[in-house]
Amino acid sequence: MEDEAYSDIYGKALALDCQSHSSICREFTVSSPKVSIGKVMVYTCCVWLLAYVVFFFTENTAVLSSAILITLAGMMLHIHFVKVDHESLLVIGSLGIQVSSSYASGRETTSFIEMTKIKDIVINEAIYMNQIIYYLCVLLKDPTEPNAVSNVVPLFQSSKPRLNCLVKVYKSCQEILSKC
Amino acid sequence: MGQRKRVAAVSRLSHQRVSGAPSDAVRVSNRKHNICMVSDFFYPNMGGVESHIYQLSQCLIEKGHKVVIVTHSYGTRKGVRYLTNGLKVYYLPLQVMYNQSTATTCFHSLPLLRCVFVRECITVVHAHSSFSAMAHDALFHAKTMGLNTVFTDHSLFGFADISSVLTNKLLTVSLCDTNHIVCVSYTSKENTVLRATLNPEIVSVIPNAVDPTDFTPDPSKRHDDNRITIVVISRLVYRKGIDLLGGIIPELCLKHPDLHFLIGGEGPKRIVLEEVREKYQLHDRVRLLGALEHKDVRDVLVQGHIFLNTSLTEAFCMAIVEGASCGLQVVSTRVGGIPEVLPEDLITLCDPTVRSLCAGLESVIALQRSGSVPSPASIHARVQNLYTWRNVAERTEKVYDRVVGEEVLPLDRRLRRLRSHCGPVAGSIFAFVAVIDFLFLLLLQWLAPDRVMDTAVDACGPHGLWRPETSNDEPDSKHAGKRRPLKTT
Repeated sequence: MEDEAYSDIYGKALALDCQSHSSICREFTVSSPKVSIGKVMVYTCCVWLLAYVVFFFTENTAVLSSAILITLAGMMLHIHFVKVDHESLLVIGSLGIQVSSSYASGRETTSFIEMTKIKDIVINEAIYMNQIIYYLCVLLKDPTEPNAVSNVVPLFQSSKPRLNCLVKVYKSCQEILSKC
Repeated sequence: MGQRKRVAAVSRLSHQRVSGAPSDAVRVSNRKHNICMVSDFFYPNMGGVESHIYQLSQCLIEKGHKVVIVTHSYGTRKGVRYLTNGLKVYYLPLQVMYNQSTATTCFHSLPLLRCVFVRECITVVHAHSSFSAMAHDALFHAKTMGLNTVFTDHSLFGFADISSVLTNKLLTVSLCDTNHIVCVSYTSKENTVLRATLNPEIVSVIPNAVDPTDFTPDPSKRHDDNRITIVVISRLVYRKGIDLLGGIIPELCLKHPDLHFLIGGEGPKRIVLEEVREKYQLHDRVRLLGALEHKDVRDVLVQGHIFLNTSLTEAFCMAIVEGASCGLQVVSTRVGGIPEVLPEDLITLCDPTVRSLCAGLESVIALQRSGSVPSPASIHARVQNLYTWRNVAERTEKVYDRVVGEEVLPLDRRLRRLRSHCGPVAGSIFAFVAVIDFLFLLLLQWLAPDRVMDTAVDACGPHGLWRPETSNDEPDSKHAGKRRPLKTT
């Protein structure tokens, strides 16, 4: 079970790290592979070649300099807003769930859901782009109606692990949730 | 190169599976299938096809098969839903074009349908209704993927006008390499065989059914005995012969002052009936109820003595079975598959003319007056075992057993079949489309190989997790109702 290989829905390898801080506190971290230098090269070359073709016909040097700016800005935006290095889920029984994701640039976003608002954690199915995938989500209680679900918070949104990984996280979460 | 090798290995595997199937089928006759029902028409849309798919699926689940239903999204109803007994329904977000039927480009539905077929480990694809573009798409893709296919036709078509010529050509192309076709009556079989130039041996007849417990007689709901009520329940459209009904009403009402009409349904021909009612001042004797919900149909039926059906074309006609099941005398036109539906002594058949229908109705009215008609309970007792969904499911199961033993044509023979069977022009066009579809499938298999798709957790079927006995002894039942079936793994 320990050395089971996990991957995301596109077949890329993922690493799952489960840390048990105490009997009611567990942390799960899903790490995606780093940005590969090859991919960066391919994208840069594409933009620059395109810019060079445009330059060849228009003979305007502004095209070339803007291409350099576009690639630089694109890379920075990508690592700052898109590329997620790891996502973690911290479950503390009787207190709540903390979800955080850290981007390749070092930026981190964190959100916390109180236990009183949580109804359950479930694995659900959804149609995503042109496939149908499983995902883990937190069901939030409706404050007015105790049995209704008011909102759904999907977990591990950018890494999108496959079912075997989700089941492992789900089972540990349920162990903690059932205790409180 | 490596990828191509892998794809070749995958396709070889699938061929082995297909060619290995016959011996398995012979050895284990009651093997379980993974069936995917595809149709544009499903709940929340209402109609005969929808209830057919639902009831058939429920009975197949009862027999231990795994069934999933694929349809397009209705409004906000998108994604994956579960119905009774773990029947899984995929509402795929495909664009609706006309009359609740999706657009067909032959390609855009492939990624999602492939995903469903792969993750649910489908062995038989069962498409419904020739009006449904999605059903034809699914047949096309299933054959490209090497899956066995079954098609059920629910309607009759003409041959003369331009729309039927085109639909018939499409049907020829779609059915020429389908493993098996199911029709709802012998008339419908004849019609389909002629339209799609099929070999009649691969066409089976399995009628529709009604749930007899929904349609029970209740003579106490009838009005006092000195009036006779004729019930008509149908959509008020040309095909259902509403113009004939408009001719019958004044003629009979003039002769029989104790005759009342109760008409349920809605449609463009309502104006015809309203005109008749206005012209002959029959407001107290002809009641138009408007559109009825399926659950209210029985309550209307039991108020009447005679059920009248004036259809001009009909493949099976569930309505007359429902009428007879409620213990009514049935008078109907002799068209399409109607003469096959009920035994001769339970139905009065007439030609589709006003005179013949009036004569038929008058003879039944005379019988009713003399009190020599069989009691509603005895009619119900005879009809209730004629058409049951269990019987339909058993016969459909036999079709599946036969189909999984058959070979799915490989691409080269499929192309030859299309060219030889569908004419030089349409055949060549669709052979080209089939090649493109195959290449598209290879591309998708390269982008997202089958092995990175998660196999779906079964709710029903041989390894289903929603068995009633397992859900009872589940230890923690705090959220058991809400929780996913994964709990028990």
